[in-house]
Amino acid sequence: MTAILQPGFWVFILTMSGIYGIFTLGLQVQYGVGGILNFGHVGMMALSSYTMAILVIAHGFNFWVAAASGVAVAALGGAFLGLTTLRLRGDYFSIVSIAFSEIVRYVIFNSDGLTGGAQGSLAIMPIGDAYPSYTDTWDTILYWIRDHLTPILGEIADRDMAMGILVWITFGILLFIVSRVERTSWARVLRATREDDDVPSALGKNVFRFRLQAVIIGSIIGGIAGIYWALQVSLLSPDDFLTIVTFYAWMILILSGATKVKGLAIAAIFFGFLYGGTRFFTFWPFSFFDASQRSYMRIMIIGIVLIVLMIRRPQGIFGKREEMVLE
Amino acid sequence: MAEFVQLLFNGLVAGSIFGMAALGISLVYSVLHLVNFAAGDFLTLGAFTTFYLATSQHLPFVLAVILSMVIGVIVSLILEFILWRRIRRSGAGMLALFLVASGIAFILRQSIALTFGSDSRRFDLDQLTTYEFLGAQIARLQLIVLLCASIAITGIALFIKKSNIGKDMRAYADNASLAAVSGINVDRVIIATWTISGAYGALAGVFQGTVQGQFTNGMGLDLLLAILAAVVLGTIGDAYGALIGGFVLGVVMDLSTWDALAGGIPSTYKPVVGFAVLVIVLLFKPEGIFGVRARKI
Repeated sequence: MTAILQPGFWVFILTMSGIYGIFTLGLQVQYGVGGILNFGHVGMMALSSYTMAILVIAHGFNFWVAAASGVAVAALGGAFLGLTTLRLRGDYFSIVSIAFSEIVRYVIFNSDGLTGGAQGSLAIMPIGDAYPSYTDTWDTILYWIRDHLTPILGEIADRDMAMGILVWITFGILLFIVSRVERTSWARVLRATREDDDVPSALGKNVFRFRLQAVIIGSIIGGIAGIYWALQVSLLSPDDFLTIVTFYAWMILILSGATKVKGLAIAAIFFGFLYGGTRFFTFWPFSFFDASQRSYMRIMIIGIVLIVLMIRRPQGIFGKREEMVLE
Repeated sequence: MAEFVQLLFNGLVAGSIFGMAALGISLVYSVLHLVNFAAGDFLTLGAFTTFYLATSQHLPFVLAVILSMVIGVIVSLILEFILWRRIRRSGAGMLALFLVASGIAFILRQSIALTFGSDSRRFDLDQLTTYEFLGAQIARLQLIVLLCASIAITGIALFIKKSNIGKDMRAYADNASLAAVSGINVDRVIIATWTISGAYGALAGVFQGTVQGQFTNGMGLDLLLAILAAVVLGTIGDAYGALIGGFVLGVVMDLSTWDALAGGIPSTYKPVVGFAVLVIVLLFKPEGIFGVRARKI
């Protein structure tokens, strides 16, 4: 119970919410605008975070170059996924996209020499005798922010709080950009392809190219989320990128109403509490179960919320029903 | 040569299991237009209920398997009556169906984990007896699995082809409103679909658990990728296509590790081969092997 009273707990929840929010924003561009059912989104997060970690640890790249390369690889991953499978029917695409992200995780898990395999980024071979860490550059920024916050906030200010602030600033900027993009003619064409292919094609729009662009933009945003994820957990493991993470994002997206960005931040925070908050449900009647059983129940709760949401309120908290019933 | 025979045989065994599970997904899709992401966890459920009944409750193994199939059917039907029926009536789109199916998958998998823990289990069967055939080592259990799966697959193929319910199912899948107008009992078709999917899912789970030796609550999920690939390969919604897709994928995945093929790929990358086959086929034939290209207007 005491954990809930700690400020560190709230900072943790908000930081995770922000990262999941950025991650979901990528899906929002793909589904909310383009109607593309991508269930392999977590693969982009895996590509960017691992690329960044490998470049910094094993090749001594500058952090910023490595992070940009990571996001670029995620964009390439999106391009590959889109070019090979976006011409397929919607249901085929979603199945193949799941397969894509699982393959990415699978390759990461089994390529011990490159990615550290099952042991995660800890087992990536560093240059020289350095400790395999990619957070050094980022940490200097976080400590700089903390040192400037301490005079204002006192003892509460710490590294984690600085991280949360940076995550939310990034999330805010991306939200702003995406909400602007969604008012452009590009987004209007994409929105038209969501409902029907024939009309935009008849008007001379290349539907495939618009969809491909949406997938790549979504993958870039997913890649940015991957960099933040890597910095937040500080040690990567293939298990961070299970398919279920994509479904977390879908849950946030549905909660927010999918077609509008404005609910996304609140939906992300709601999810953060559901996911992170239940970790601290150690009091009765939850004390009856041990930690691993509670972690099983947490995922069960997410399953139940998804189902109840789809039955009771498929338009989410903020969405309009008419926009969601359309396929 | 011995290695080729060995891999071909392993591939056929794996393919028969993929095919049985893929058949359920494809049938459910053809009748209900829903991709059942929970199908993998129905395999796990079948394996764990069989383990519980045979090992903990000391029932004869065959009886335990049959009871597990019945449980698979009951769970599928309960979900149909309390969930799917309601969701279909609300006119839900593809996304809603996807998300509900994955919600069920999470709940099912975590319930199994909660009940049985995360330890790996094994059936109390004779894992050691092997026969030699053209230099290949063929385990008795693998042979039994292949034989039983072949009988089950032939049986269901004949059932769909010949029986009245099977004909109704094909008619309904082909044109739902026309079938309903012609007096086909829609409820009966849907119940038959879930029954086949539930029973064959459980059976495929038992077979996979037997062939693997040890299994955990993640078994079905690990297999789902290959099963979905088989479904798509054989054209989603085509029951016979799913069976053939399963065999093709099983054999290709195992043969890809053959030394004679430039050393073969490491066996840990078998699922990647499955995915690559899928992508290549879809690039040239986006509607799957047996699909009819939609008429372009």
